[in-house]
Amino acid sequence: MLDYVISKYNFWIYIILMMIGLYAMIGKKNLVKKLIGMNIFQSAIILFYVSIGVKAGATVPILSGHGHGHEAIEVANYINPLPHVLMLTAIVVSIATTGIALASLILIYRKYNTLEEDEILKIRKETGA
Amino acid sequence: MADQFAALIIVVPLIASLFVPVIGWWKKRLCYPWVVAVLVIPLISSLSVLNTVMTTGKFSYRLGGWAPPWGIEYMLDHLSAFVLVIVSSISLIVAIYSKKSIEDNLPEKTVPFYTLFLLLVTGLMGIVITGDVFNLFVFLEISALSCYALIAIGEEGAPMATFNYIIIGTIGACFYLLGIGYLYIATGSLNMADLANILPDLYHSKVILVAFAFFTVGLAIKAGLFPLHTWLPDAYCTAPSAVSALIAPLMTKVAAYVMIRLLFTVFQPNFSVNMVPVMPILGWLSVMAIFWGGIKALAQTDLKRMLVYVVVAEVGYIVIGVSVANRMGLTGAILHIMNDAVMMACLFLVVGAILYKTGTREIQQLRHLNKKMPFTMAAFTITALSMVGIPPACGFFSKWYLILGTIEAGQWVWAAALLCSSLINAVLFFRVIECAYLKPMEPAYALNGGETKHEEIQRDEAPLTMLVPIVITAAGVILLGIFSGKIISSVIQFAVPASF
Amino acid sequence: MKVIALIAVIMTGALLIYGVEDMPKWSDPNSPASSHVSPQYIQEATEKTATPNIVTAVLADYRSYDTMGETVVVFTAAIGCILMLRKKRNGEGG
Repeated sequence: MLDYVISKYNFWIYIILMMIGLYAMIGKKNLVKKLIGMNIFQSAIILFYVSIGVKAGATVPILSGHGHGHEAIEVANYINPLPHVLMLTAIVVSIATTGIALASLILIYRKYNTLEEDEILKIRKETGA
Repeated sequence: MADQFAALIIVVPLIASLFVPVIGWWKKRLCYPWVVAVLVIPLISSLSVLNTVMTTGKFSYRLGGWAPPWGIEYMLDHLSAFVLVIVSSISLIVAIYSKKSIEDNLPEKTVPFYTLFLLLVTGLMGIVITGDVFNLFVFLEISALSCYALIAIGEEGAPMATFNYIIIGTIGACFYLLGIGYLYIATGSLNMADLANILPDLYHSKVILVAFAFFTVGLAIKAGLFPLHTWLPDAYCTAPSAVSALIAPLMTKVAAYVMIRLLFTVFQPNFSVNMVPVMPILGWLSVMAIFWGGIKALAQTDLKRMLVYVVVAEVGYIVIGVSVANRMGLTGAILHIMNDAVMMACLFLVVGAILYKTGTREIQQLRHLNKKMPFTMAAFTITALSMVGIPPACGFFSKWYLILGTIEAGQWVWAAALLCSSLINAVLFFRVIECAYLKPMEPAYALNGGETKHEEIQRDEAPLTMLVPIVITAAGVILLGIFSGKIISSVIQFAVPASF
Repeated sequence: MKVIALIAVIMTGALLIYGVEDMPKWSDPNSPASSHVSPQYIQEATEKTATPNIVTAVLADYRSYDTMGETVVVFTAAIGCILMLRKKRNGEGG
């Protein structure tokens, strides 16, 4: 059992991180905290992807000595490059989403002068909107 | 040359969107003709692609020339070509329409608006055309981000609606991304066709099951399926008219397309229908969506908010067609993607035109609109009849297939729900039509207005750039209904997976 | 809201933990992810793209279409922020 837990510890870590993020996104009242939860959630997924690429005993996929392509390349010596590529894209996407979300927070703050969800709902109810 | 059309569909609006800020910096009013002119090209290209697919069958387009599991490819079959034509034509129509609405509401934001408009269209078409699950995620995010920004500039309450949409939409997109990760860890591939080959051996793996669950939930969020639709009403309702006319017909339908694609192409129907209990769940959720959307729509006094709830119900229709999982139902679902896109486009365009002309969306204040805006109201009436399901308008035919599908699957409650929703729609739209055509002037109103009582009501039709798109969509509602038999026999029957 | 959040989190977590059981062991060089598509990248990327860094080769060549999408995402976000935040000059700026 312990062996099982240890052999897959990367998954447990990312699951815990993801749950923290998801809880913050749905459960928190403060909008900035929701946004931070979103970032934790996305980081967890990024960690998960990066951990897929790992191979025991392998190194970063940069072929410094194989520039002219005559020697045989041992696949097991280099980690899987694809998850890293995907995550470069996903990181950019998550930053862009954060940017848009922050911009909308600025709009909200300009209008209501607060970033607490319940206070905003109260203001909206009072003004009848 | 002919096969390069596939690349043009994405590349042209994308490059054009980069030029919008340049053109706007030079002369602001050139943005609009530029966007309209540019959007003609994807329409022509997607028609040409559909033509190619119909004559020679499905084909793929390798980007950069790399062979599929390593590089990225476009997958063009009947289904994607069909949805591409819908997306490109609706976006062109809405682009034509957007002129007055933007000049009037957001004159200082014309340039970024049109840039994002093109990016949104690019994103939607990228989702439809791609044959790679991760690439689909990237385009999903392009369309989502531009959609968030476009909604945020709407009326009172829009920023809050946007923020909710961002949070829930990101959960949906991340669930989708997580699904990709699980598929990748089990198969090592990202290409849809390749995945479809590898997956059948792995159907008993729990990893695949979890991936499937995350895909379904993520896409249900993106499609706004009950009970994950909570972001939808506020976001669509507070968006500017031109934006809601673009996203209401297209966003949820494209998500429904992705759902069909994943459930029946990446995963085989054998898995999605027989090995996991997802179809009944989706079916019952859509029944609830139909009723909940209908009832909430009945409670609204605001015309646009009413239509937004109708969108929630319409998503239910498409998903019911998917979840009965037989040829009839799926034909209905795919046909309804088209019909619903056209009908929703028409209705939201009409609401935008009414708002532009009268400044109100309250149903009670639409009196005498038949005299003020006869063409607009005629278009509205035609589409309303189509929503209720009266032939020869197109709404009848998709609903007919959907009901046949549910009966074939033995799901009588689902069939009853579809019939009931026709009744609900009849009540909903008759209420509006009654207000617009039949209601006499209220005495109090007449007193206040004094002399207006005897005055002839002036015709005050929407401007031509608004009227032409409205009339085109309304004519589309009738024409698509008349030719729906032909559309089914030449395109949709090939778009339905062969194993049904 | 807290209760809904907790239920959603627990359900998602349970699903994820359920899925872990059939996952390959961490850092297993023979896992499907490392043995289906990726070996060919490692073997022929340098030769075909003349780039020693395979991540770069895949990013900018095999999957360059994704990378184009990625840059478009940044562009979208930038234009989106301009659209949302830019005010007319006569306001208090911003």
